[in-house]
Formats: sequence, structure tokens, C-alpha cells
Amino acid sequence: MTTKDIVLIALFAAIIVVLGFIPPVTISFIPVPITAQSMGVMLAGCIIGAKRGALAYVLVVLMVAIGLPVLSGGRGGLDVLIGPTGGYIAGWIVGTYVVGLIAERMVREGQKEVLQFTGFFVASIIGGIGVVYALGIAWLCFSTGTPVMTALYGNLAFIPGDIIKAVIATLAARAVLAGYPLLPQRAH
Amino acid sequence: MLKSLYIEGNTPLHRLGVKTKLVILLLTTIGLYIFAQPVVLAAAALITLTIYATLGMPWREAEIRLRPILITITILALVNAYVLGIEEATISTLRLLAILFLAASITATTTIAAFMEAVSELLRPFERLGLVRADDVSLAFGLVLRFVPEIFNHYNALKEAHQARGLPVKTARIIGPLIIMALKDADTIADAIDARGLRAH
Repeated sequence: MTTKDIVLIALFAAIIVVLGFIPPVTISFIPVPITAQSMGVMLAGCIIGAKRGALAYVLVVLMVAIGLPVLSGGRGGLDVLIGPTGGYIAGWIVGTYVVGLIAERMVREGQKEVLQFTGFFVASIIGGIGVVYALGIAWLCFSTGTPVMTALYGNLAFIPGDIIKAVIATLAARAVLAGYPLLPQRAH
Repeated sequence: MLKSLYIEGNTPLHRLGVKTKLVILLLTTIGLYIFAQPVVLAAAALITLTIYATLGMPWREAEIRLRPILITITILALVNAYVLGIEEATISTLRLLAILFLAASITATTTIAAFMEAVSELLRPFERLGLVRADDVSLAFGLVLRFVPEIFNHYNALKEAHQARGLPVKTARIIGPLIIMALKDADTIADAIDARGLRAH
């Protein structure tokens, strides 16, 4: 791990925290307000790759655990992690890793733009939605006893917002790749 | 900007060591899954609520902190009551509340410094295995605290730039430039750290 890797991890963790301060967007046809923070999973994986991205989230979760209100809406503390939605937060770490793995393999510099967009979008959907939901729902069902199918239906309300996030993250990741490429040089 | 959730005070929970508190939280959580009778769970919830309410936090602050998670638990309770029946819903809700109040109490009575000490102790075995360097973790942690206000300033600058040109402020439009602005300093910062020998062995 080089000093630059550590700096990038810290910078991205700070970006994730700042995303929590940005006021949530409400879109008329979607019942749940869109917070920018959970988009960080897709952004971190697509921009700084699997290892550094996941470690950025480890830092964020560590900050939550030790009582810093770094989650959107000023939430934080052990109660958030251990509560019924704590699985989504643990899912951010694994999700970012998966987003990074897919993005590192699918996206290269000098590739056609379409392929880069596709790679980032596929990575965001699988890691940022699929993996995060799987872990989130698993813990939710374990801690509350809610049947899996019920939790799954409840989660559907968040899908439209998350797809919009994947689109925004794809555009941003591609912009960063063009302007300041970091993904190709992986962490050591 | 990043104000800790610690509340000044001198209750028994304040005086306990952080590791003891975390073990208590772990054992309570496991215990409440084993002894899942409504009476036991109700008593546990009442006790942890009492602890939380007597930490010396202003009532409003105590309520604001837990509001989002209480709303989630209420929704889940209603869903569970409908899907699984009243008894199962009561059991899981009481258990969640008991754990929640205890966890929130520990967060409110433990300083960042105490937590960090526990974290580096927890890392020590991993350090011996060569998986991680505890110094790197504290370095990264310090950097995040330093970067958050800076990146928030970048965000505000971008927002004002949009407003000055009469453009609506949209997250989608701001996020790319924000990330590039934040990350492009990485080389300079890394060089500055190395120049000062902060990671020297």
C-alpha cells in the first residue's frame, strides 16, 4: 500500500461523508427520497477500484462505529450498525469491492466510450444494488424475523432511485476516468 | 462539522472501559436471542431505555438521535404484525429496542479517543500477521477528518458557481467535478506525507 493509496482512500471516505450532507433529491414518481451517500458505493468502486474503494468504506463504517455522525441525516453510532438496517451498511463495503472488481475487469483506458459506460453501469448495478441489497435484506430478516419475500417487496420501492444513482455514478466515473484516471493503476 | 456523539457525564456507563462495554453489548445481544420471552425482552428494553434516558442528554437530543431508526423499527413492527402475527412482532420489536437503547447509550458515553484505542488494540493481532499497519489506519483516519471540511468547501464553491450562472444545482452535474477536484490533490498530499517521513519504519 503506497502513501498515495492511503491518501486516496481517505479522500474518498471524506467524499462519501460529504455526499451525506448534500440535501436528498425527491423525484415525483419515486416514493423514497434519493440520498447521494449510497451512490458512494458505485462511485468508489468505479473510480478508485476494488481494494481502495472497499477500504474507504471500512473507514466510513469505523467512523460510524466510534460515534461520528457521518451518515446522511447526521446518523451514526453503534445503534445504527447493529439496528435492522445495519446490513446495508456492511453491504456497502462488500458491494464496493464487487463494483471495483467488475469495473477493473470491464473498463480500460482507450476503450470505446460505449464500452466504458456499459462496464461502469453493469458494475454499479451488480455491486451497488445486488450485493448491497442481498446483505441488507439478510441482516434485516435475521434481526427482525421478517420473511425474505416481504423484505424483498419492500426493497422494490428503492430500485428506481438506485437505478438513477447507477446512471449518475456511471457518468461521473467516466468523467473522472477521462479527466483523472485512477482505476487502471490498482492499489498495491 | 463532525461533532462526536459523545455526551459529557459521569454515569457508571461513562466509567466502564470501552472493551467491557462492547462485550456487554455483544453478550446482551446474544442473550436476547436465547431468552426470547416477551417478559424478559420487555424488562430488558425497559432497563436499557432507563440507562439511555439517564445519561444526562437533553430530552430533545436523545429523541432526535433515535428518531430515524425508531421509525424504521415501527414500520418493520407493523409489517411483522401483519405478516407473522402480533406475538412474533412483539418479540422482535422489543429485542430490537433493547439492543438499540444499549448501543446508543454506549455510543453516547464513549469518547472517540477511547474507541480509537480499542480499534488499534483490535488491529494488533492483524498487524503481527502483516495484514495491516495500525499507524496507517490512524493516518488515514486523521486525513479523513482533515479532508471533510475541505471537500465540503469544494461542494459549496461548485454550487455557487452554478447559481452565479443561473443553472439549477443538480447532484448529477456536480458530482464529477467534485470528485476530480478532491482527488487531484492526492499526489501532492502523498508527497508531503512522504517528505515528512510520517510513514518511515
